[in-house]
Amino acid sequence: MKGKKILSVVCAAAMTVGLCACGSSSSSTSSDADSTSDSKTESSESASGSIQLLNGKPEIDDQLQSLAKTYEKETGVKVEVQTVGGSNQATASDTLKKDYQAGTMPDIFVCETNQFANWDGMLADLSDQDWVKNTDYAYTDDKNGTIGFPCYIEGWGISYNADVLEKAGIDPSTLTSPDAYKKAFETLDSKKDELGISEVVDYGANNSNLGWSTGTHLFGAYLDGGLAQDDTKYIDMLNDGGQIDEARMKDFADFIALIQQYCNKDIATNGTYDDETAEFAQGKAAFVTQGSWFGANLTSNDDYKANPFKCGIAPFAFEDGMDTICGGATGYWAVYKDSKNVDAAKAFLQWCSEDEAQKIFVEECGFNSPFKNITYTSSDPFAEAMKSYKDAGKFSGLHTFIKKDGLQNETGQVFEDFAKGSIATSDDFVSTIKGVIENYYAN
Amino acid sequence: MTEIKEKTKPVSPKAKVEEDLYGGEKPLPKKIADYIILVAGIALLVISLVMDGMGSESVVRGPMLIAGILVTIAGIYLFPSPKYHRAMIYVIFLFPLLFAFIITVIIPLVLGIGYSFTDWDGIRVRNFVGFDNYARMMKRPEFIWSIIVTALFVIFNVILVNLFGFLLALLCTTKIKAIGFFRASYFLPNLIGGIVLGYVWKFIFNQVLTKMLNTVTLLNASNTALMAIVIVYIWQYAGYIMLIYITGLTGVPQDCIEAAAIDGANSWQTLTKIKVPMIAPTVTICTFLTLTSSFKQFDVNLALTNGTGSVANFMGSYLTNGTEMLALNIYNTAISENNYALSQAKAVLFFILLAVISIIQVRTSNKKEVSL
Repeated sequence: MKGKKILSVVCAAAMTVGLCACGSSSSSTSSDADSTSDSKTESSESASGSIQLLNGKPEIDDQLQSLAKTYEKETGVKVEVQTVGGSNQATASDTLKKDYQAGTMPDIFVCETNQFANWDGMLADLSDQDWVKNTDYAYTDDKNGTIGFPCYIEGWGISYNADVLEKAGIDPSTLTSPDAYKKAFETLDSKKDELGISEVVDYGANNSNLGWSTGTHLFGAYLDGGLAQDDTKYIDMLNDGGQIDEARMKDFADFIALIQQYCNKDIATNGTYDDETAEFAQGKAAFVTQGSWFGANLTSNDDYKANPFKCGIAPFAFEDGMDTICGGATGYWAVYKDSKNVDAAKAFLQWCSEDEAQKIFVEECGFNSPFKNITYTSSDPFAEAMKSYKDAGKFSGLHTFIKKDGLQNETGQVFEDFAKGSIATSDDFVSTIKGVIENYYAN
Repeated sequence: MTEIKEKTKPVSPKAKVEEDLYGGEKPLPKKIADYIILVAGIALLVISLVMDGMGSESVVRGPMLIAGILVTIAGIYLFPSPKYHRAMIYVIFLFPLLFAFIITVIIPLVLGIGYSFTDWDGIRVRNFVGFDNYARMMKRPEFIWSIIVTALFVIFNVILVNLFGFLLALLCTTKIKAIGFFRASYFLPNLIGGIVLGYVWKFIFNQVLTKMLNTVTLLNASNTALMAIVIVYIWQYAGYIMLIYITGLTGVPQDCIEAAAIDGANSWQTLTKIKVPMIAPTVTICTFLTLTSSFKQFDVNLALTNGTGSVANFMGSYLTNGTEMLALNIYNTAISENNYALSQAKAVLFFILLAVISIIQVRTSNKKEVSL
């Protein structure tokens, strides 16, 4: 009997341990929940005191932190900057999806053009803000009003090494037609040794490395090249079941073929973004098929630092008379409607659009400001070119960002095959890309 | 101990339980208090869950939930039903495990299947669409292509990985010098993560091999790119399979081999007539291990080609996902196409395929065990 007693004591002890274990496991999860709810109550207590901001660009994290400090010093309102992501643009949006499920949405978050539809009806209308009048690049839709605060503008056409072009005696402002390009390419090609370049155009089309460049940006030139900012002719056709204008696409394909004729085949078919950057930074190419963001890569490149040169952007002129580049805001901040700090967030955005914050954005982050009457210029090699196109109103739209999500992965492959030669002629390019797009839209 | 005691003192189980519970006496007044504890526990639980559902941010909610769970468990433990007392104790002991299992496996599975019938975009569900996602998925040539590519990849891998693994194991069970070094170095690739490995091999294929052999890279065309993935996968996985084969081979009884040697079997006969039949269960295990793991291939695929590659004409369309396997296709559908519901439907199919393979695996290995 005594043995049994001991046994039952042991049993009871074991049970308590079991209970504790389970208690602690559940308490750890709920303490987690507690801590988040704590921080929540904290932030709601100091509702006037703390704004949460989700940033998707790790490279400007430091600058944003100092921006937040400046704002706190001036107004006493704390801004907490959370930075996620890397090169993968999906990271910030995935973090947001998680935050939404967990009920911990930040007050202000980064949003790209194609992501606004996801948050339909959940973003605060900012159209009554003062900064809206001061920019042409706010994101506006018919249903929700103005919902995107433009952080920066980017633009692309064909970027060039101004020093090389000058040496070769080519005036970049004449590059507004395929014939002008053809002539320029021929001139450069004949003077290769003299100019110290190893090829004329630095072009990369490997789909897994640079599909975002060809499938999104170059394809964007087909959609918007030469058109006015608000002209939606070709994107409307595309989004109506994936139609393309074959004549325009043919001109576009011919232009790509021209580029391929004067590029480095290895980089075109297998190169990475780094290969492309290295080539251009060493001054080995006169043109590169990248846009204004490329400046940040150049300035951090050792070869470029040792031997800097002037850069510019020329139109992607695959038809006569195209004198615009694709440009506009590519990164926005949106305000979450159900946040407790909507007003504080709006005030912060207003401050961000003003002189002092724009100075930080332009001079330290290297952004091209989307706001009018901003006189600061960054040291970015493309800043001047961007400003001149912006001031002249020569930006075409960025409708490539509202094509069906994921289309760039499909079209990027067609560009790669064209570069490799498995799609032989520009007519084949047109028929293939037509089929691919139709098929993608049909699903 | 207890079993012996039970045998020496034959009591009916029911009477014994009652004795355990109440120390031999017949109590009754405790009953009501026990019910109250149980009810109070459940009430606490329900209240805290309701508070959570209503989005309350009260500080007591968390502690209340824990208290509720503990009190409920105590209530169940004290529940005055001698008949089911044992069963309840088992449930209490199993509770932590069951809880974790339900939270991490059952609920996501049910939710996932549920999402596949909606137009979920990762944020919210707008409509219920029935089997629409499944119908769309089967109509997409690139998805069918992904299934075919995956099947091809699995077939190649199951054969080649096992072949290489077995040959390496044979090599590493002979009496050559520095055997430990060889075993370790063959196993080493398995310890490198697939993404890193993918990028390293991408460099090898694109930069090193092209310059050495002066050819175009393997990653250039869909079929050779698939071959490249198979090569990398073998390099990564054969060492692991080798270890399992080594265990099998060293487990073959020495007396069988000796007996065969006395009967005059040469080494080839020993291998085919003695060793291979003796390690048949190991072969089954390795086959299914490679089968399931290559079926789920994702990381090398992502890093090496990211699914790119073109197929000129498949089911009447020009495909651009020549090397995209099922897992990567599911991922890309969700992430790049922002089509979470469709991706979820594909994932359900993926789950069913894997479940079928696993069930077959369990069945066959059971049979093998019986025949031994």
